[in-house]
Amino acid sequence: MTQAVPEQASKKYDLGFARWVYENVDGGDKLSMCMQCGACSGSCPIGTQMDYGPRKLFMMIRAGMKDAVLSSNTLWNCTKCYRCVVRCPRGVPVTYILGGLGSKAVELGYADKEDSKSFASAFWWSASKFGRTDERLVTAKYYFSFGLVDGIKRGIANLKIAFGMIKTGRMHIGAPHKIKDAKGLQSILAKAKEIESRGGSASS
Amino acid sequence: MSETENKKFTYYPGCSSQGSARHLDESLRAVAPELGIELEELDDWNCCGASVGHVGGGTLPNLSLTGRNLANASKQGRQDVLTGCAACYLNTHAGNEKIKKDVALRGRVNEALSAADLSYDDDLQVRHACEVIVNDVGLEKIKDRVTNPLTGLKVAGYVGCQTVRPFANTEGGGSYDTYDDPEFLDNFAEACGAEAVDFDVKTACCGGSVSVMNPEKTLHLIKQILDAAKDVGADVIATPCPLCQTNVEMYQEAINKEFGTDFNIPVVFYSQLMAVAFGMDKEKGAALQRNTIRSEKLEGMAKS
Repeated sequence: MTQAVPEQASKKYDLGFARWVYENVDGGDKLSMCMQCGACSGSCPIGTQMDYGPRKLFMMIRAGMKDAVLSSNTLWNCTKCYRCVVRCPRGVPVTYILGGLGSKAVELGYADKEDSKSFASAFWWSASKFGRTDERLVTAKYYFSFGLVDGIKRGIANLKIAFGMIKTGRMHIGAPHKIKDAKGLQSILAKAKEIESRGGSASS
Repeated sequence: MSETENKKFTYYPGCSSQGSARHLDESLRAVAPELGIELEELDDWNCCGASVGHVGGGTLPNLSLTGRNLANASKQGRQDVLTGCAACYLNTHAGNEKIKKDVALRGRVNEALSAADLSYDDDLQVRHACEVIVNDVGLEKIKDRVTNPLTGLKVAGYVGCQTVRPFANTEGGGSYDTYDDPEFLDNFAEACGAEAVDFDVKTACCGGSVSVMNPEKTLHLIKQILDAAKDVGADVIATPCPLCQTNVEMYQEAINKEFGTDFNIPVVFYSQLMAVAFGMDKEKGAALQRNTIRSEKLEGMAKS
């Protein structure tokens, strides 16, 4: 039996989304090369944990499913193994595009509840404040981004690992390692942010 | 390269060299002169942005981290930049190639760098330590330096991802191996007198930073690597990657708890194997005391 044709679309499609991705997302200009072969999704070690594999996500971009794309966990579960990048027969920089979409998702407020956003914020805090990643402070800041109780719980769950790292001298005690010209670095980063806010992707 | 003259590199150790991967940095610095490599540390180096810098800071600020390092490196001379860290290599190499190819992008990066009176106008090469050892040093030189062969040590060479993907076998990446079935790590182990066992998951993924954030999503990935090592009876897993080393080592207990397994397999860096094979001190040279799972067999072979 033929299904009745719905009178209006059940989902909202943003028909300008694909073009926006081409023009604003790092690597997005190469998206038009995708021929939907699925080598990326087939190569992905963590595809089972993703809402949609890269192939499907790219089709959704073309279909204009902006909200679904930018709020999908695909952007956050990518482990950056680059298997899809080397296997894509059309040279689409899949990992870079997922990363670029992640940056935009954060910018546009789609990722406020994502663990990755908390982790990335903690990471950037350390990288920009000290010029270096302090693994211990980034981890602690990330754990406590879930609240005091959850932070303590996560800390306790990983206590043995932390002790092992301290015992072997791989987690140092004391002030964070800091670069000499942290001020200079911060000026560079502030300037870069200002340039980026003028628009366009970093690849153009 | 002549026997007496060392080749100089600007050395970018990366943040993990002061934390979780001190044993990579220490053993690499120890074996480098033996291999004819002189490492001059990059002045005031900063973080490369790792796997999440673009999310935390945005694409251009993240690239500017690399820009600053390259600007400082070019002040130190035109010699190649060398790093032992997979993520540092990936970000710095990729950023460098992008900047070199794209005039407009270089302009944007330099505009940002001008805020600290820096500028990157050079065309440096950013290289991975393993690629340098393959192409500039050669296996013969490793063999020449071995005074304490690791006879009978079964090594599972676990390359991981970013050391070879996506830049192995590319012109800018040094054309030193393939990304599907890289052989350099097995060759290093064999050159040190060890036995490189068949290891079909050599380029499998440990979960990278997702394993740090949400290990529950990726423990099964690490388990695959451990299963394969156990199946072939490996005494140690050897890797070039700081995050692979830490992830595969530190989550073994969590994996045992989750899957009812009994893994306790040491995970070491290739440079630690070299240091032991070159007859160096097991702590000061090979930094074996920094492994949380110790290899009695390897330590038994090491000079103290």
